[in-house]
Amino acid sequence: MKGLVIWIKTEEGADESILDKLGREIEVRGGRVEVFHSEAIENLGMENNDRAKAVACAMLASHGVVVIASGPEHPSINPGEKLEVRIIEESDLHRTDTKDIFMRDLELAGLVPPPKYDVHPDEEKEILKKLQDLGYLEE
Amino acid sequence: MLVPPHGGRLIDRQYEGSEAEEIINQVRDGKLLTLNPREKNDLEMIGNGAMSPLEGFMSRADYEMVIDLMHLVAGPVWSLPVVFSQKDGDPDVSPGDHVGLKDIEGTIWGDMRIEDVFNADLMAEAEKTLGTIDDSHPGVMYLKLLSGKYIGGKIRSIRRREIESFQNYRLDPKETRVLFRARGWKTAVAFQTRNPIHRAHEYIQKCAMEIVDGLLLHPLIGETQQGDIPAEVRMRCYEEILKDYYPNTRVAMSVFPAAMRYAGPKEAIFHALLRKNYGCSHFIVGRDHAGVGNFYGTYDAQMIFDKFDPDELGIVPLKFEHAFFCSKCGGMATPKTCAHDSQHHVFLSGKKVRAMLKEGILPPPEFTRPEIAEILMEAARNGDN
Ligand SMILES: [Zn+2]
Repeated sequence: MKGLVIWIKTEEGADESILDKLGREIEVRGGRVEVFHSEAIENLGMENNDRAKAVACAMLASHGVVVIASGPEHPSINPGEKLEVRIIEESDLHRTDTKDIFMRDLELAGLVPPPKYDVHPDEEKEILKKLQDLGYLEE
Repeated sequence: MLVPPHGGRLIDRQYEGSEAEEIINQVRDGKLLTLNPREKNDLEMIGNGAMSPLEGFMSRADYEMVIDLMHLVAGPVWSLPVVFSQKDGDPDVSPGDHVGLKDIEGTIWGDMRIEDVFNADLMAEAEKTLGTIDDSHPGVMYLKLLSGKYIGGKIRSIRRREIESFQNYRLDPKETRVLFRARGWKTAVAFQTRNPIHRAHEYIQKCAMEIVDGLLLHPLIGETQQGDIPAEVRMRCYEEILKDYYPNTRVAMSVFPAAMRYAGPKEAIFHALLRKNYGCSHFIVGRDHAGVGNFYGTYDAQMIFDKFDPDELGIVPLKFEHAFFCSKCGGMATPKTCAHDSQHHVFLSGKKVRAMLKEGILPPPEFTRPEIAEILMEAARNGDN
């Protein structure tokens, strides 16, 4: 699978939990994922800037991993042939319609695997609870 | 592993809570199109994945491919059109529009991003899908009331649990799939019904249960024609019989919110594919499945399955004959298993049973279990059937 950087456009210093959420979603499809938090840049001993982050993400992703990061702007770096960069507004990830379209695009481009499950593993747990409440399953 | 959904992925375009609010807010002040009862059923079943791989109402290319060749453009088998028709008084729309979908009372049930608006020859559709253009066919009558203009596009549907009928029995495909897995079922057989349960149905279900892990009782509760026994009565019959006559870990009952199309053989395929999405590996097809009047041959709905490669259907039809009690056999049987003359068979037509129940006469216990007959008789007294 070709490497992919998903860059989520957020305000400076925004909550990064959306990165983990998206990462989990790709992981349960069987994709190899690295969620690249801003903190990682500092832990690597670099100054937190979007350029450093983008370069680090590109290096990781060129090994066929989906890398998810966020920042105000994705600096233009040369991604090379082994890599794609897709940019999405954070607000679009919170809206079901625009998020679905984004994910489907990635799927059709062969950048993330299509879901292997019929029911999302996280949702499966909620459904089991509901089936117990309705009396279909013993607690 | 359960059977994979039709087309490979289980569609989930159903939203509730804050996500549903988001949809309503997006479309409320824009163009709203009106759903008729069948379209409302279809919207629900596209949204919850029962109609996977459909993601919306059909555009012209899929519509034509389906009525002519029983396949979707993308490849999978599909036997009946799932379309949305333009209504009198609704605003004009064109591709690219994002519209809300409301029922006749004005409640919003979803949205559609319009991809196609096209004219259809409805009588050609009737001929190809129903096999007739005769007015006495309810499916033809339905088509005659439509405008002839269809609107296609991807939908999202809204779940409003609080106002649904049969709340305790409404399982979506993803829910039946989780249920089957939790019970350890790898194979399951679906029984579609729009009738109350008589001994003949029980016998057929139990024959099927002998070869699979579980039974999904799936009574249809969408729109049916006048004269069919109301869904409430049918459900009461099933609740009663499940108490004493079925092992409860081997059976699941849930409602099937589809409208009847009375398309006979093509609807049998349609019903089977939808049950595959619910996780069923097998589907019971009786004589004259989804038929009406004398429009279809007795075995048409069974024979149509032979036109397809089993792999492209992905669900196995179990073809059954009418069953009856045979006094010589001393048990339930069918023409396939009983060697005796019909004078030994206890068999009553639906019409005959109805007349008996109206007059307060209990059908013989070999035909209907007394617990069920009581429920039907009470319903007949109250004018429910
Ligand atoms: Zn016999």
